[in-house]
Amino acid sequence: MVKTGRLTRTSAAGPLLSPVTLLRIVLVLALLAIWELLARSGLLYRDVVPSLVRIARALGSLLSDGGYYYNLGVTAGEIGIALLIGGFSGIAVGLLLGGNRFLAKAFEPYLYYLGPTPKIIFFPVMIMWFGVGSESKIALGTLSCFFPIALNVAAGMRQIDTVLIRVGKSFRATTAQMVRKIYLPAMRHPIINGVRLGFGFALIGTLLAETKLSNKGIGFLIIQAYSTFDMPRMYAMLIVLFVLAIGANAAIGRLGGLDAIKRT
Amino acid sequence: MPAVSDSALLKVDAVSVRFDTAEGSITAVDDVSLTVKQGEFLSVIGPSGCGKSTLFNVIGGLLGNHQGEVRVGGETVSGPHKSIGMVFQEESTFPWRTVRDNVAFPLELIGMPKEKRSERARHFISMVGLDGFENRFPGELSGGMRQRVSLARTLASEPKILLMDEPFAALDEQTRLLLGDKVLQIQQQIKQTTLLITHNITEAVQMSDRILVMTYRPGKVKRIVDIDLPRPRTSEIVGSEAFGRYVAQIWNDLREEANRGLRDEEKHALQRGSGTA
Repeated sequence: MVKTGRLTRTSAAGPLLSPVTLLRIVLVLALLAIWELLARSGLLYRDVVPSLVRIARALGSLLSDGGYYYNLGVTAGEIGIALLIGGFSGIAVGLLLGGNRFLAKAFEPYLYYLGPTPKIIFFPVMIMWFGVGSESKIALGTLSCFFPIALNVAAGMRQIDTVLIRVGKSFRATTAQMVRKIYLPAMRHPIINGVRLGFGFALIGTLLAETKLSNKGIGFLIIQAYSTFDMPRMYAMLIVLFVLAIGANAAIGRLGGLDAIKRT
Repeated sequence: MPAVSDSALLKVDAVSVRFDTAEGSITAVDDVSLTVKQGEFLSVIGPSGCGKSTLFNVIGGLLGNHQGEVRVGGETVSGPHKSIGMVFQEESTFPWRTVRDNVAFPLELIGMPKEKRSERARHFISMVGLDGFENRFPGELSGGMRQRVSLARTLASEPKILLMDEPFAALDEQTRLLLGDKVLQIQQQIKQTTLLITHNITEAVQMSDRILVMTYRPGKVKRIVDIDLPRPRTSEIVGSEAFGRYVAQIWNDLREEANRGLRDEEKHALQRGSGTA
């Protein structure tokens, strides 16, 4: 493992406050200031735009609430399982389509048509098949993340430098060796990008399903806060969700980032 | 000639390759026969478009739809053969593997234990003069060094025949000459039987025992030239009078073919131009 290259890359990204970071912070602060001004101006109904203090207080009580963590765990579990099922099947289908021109020609158009369709329209079907519990949410999350992952992996496979495949063949690598030692490492970037996209879609699918029909999970809590008009609590949950999504995305991205050094 | 075929390690017998394109069927390689003897360095030289790379792929077993036969040590080649090691023209190192793991790749495929293949890899890395770079990634090396990694990787599989397709084409002239020295040195050191595909006359004369000159499309054997220069050779030989004579002789053969190729390309460009106008 070469450490030096990796270090220069990460340190290049930041002395602690680069102009870019500074600008980002300024933007967030400005938005917060505008929010607070609006809240205090009384121009809007104060429960629709509650003051930051009220949101902070709601955030505090949210984070000290054990029931919240239970629901967070439920949702995280659903997303995790959805990403696992959708990810593995997506990668498998992507490899198949990327490696076989005939199959790609026959089936890839379907993926392109179905990919952008909002998967929530299948939720009624999922409820009938899998019930109202976590299973139907997992099903919708799986369905949501399968398409971007499969399409990314298929496209990534076609972008592999063909000479590397010829090298493998010239050394008489078996199919399993080709996949393990050439295709997968050469496709690490598109795979991780696909999983990253897929994570976003799984998150959307799962939460959306929870808001429609459920009795647990973050989506359920958000819609519950909305229907009891507890806006500070709802905003607090959105903030937590936002932060968690950013964190998870960065974690997946980091897996891909490691490889970037070796390829340059 | 039974005397020759007895010692022939590689025998290409009446190989022809035809491609179907939009403009009709093109004969890329037409009835090419050649033999490479044990320990011999043979170069195949020809202008662009003479089917050199096609021939390379046929001999390497990567292209199946040919007529005629390729035999290695008496066995007919149908698919990549274990006795043939290929070095490609393009950048072909694995960017996600260190130099050591790149070179150890063929050993990994045959299941050699880690310790042993590291040791073997080090031996061949040293042979191409890359000691100390074992833990670097290809991205950290120059183009010439990466090509040496590819060479070491192929040598590590210990092929009976080293088959190279313009391995130095993408490099600058000086790097090319110095790398040529390296190849000569290795060739003399391990008596590696080698078939080099090239369009570079200097390179061919510098390294070869024999040079096979090919015609422009369809690629046929035009002439076989014995290079009777003393060994061991280095790039210094480039300055000698005998060297100059060989280069002139081969250029004489090639010029006509290269000219034909050029005219053909111009004609195609014109046709395309008038087609779109």
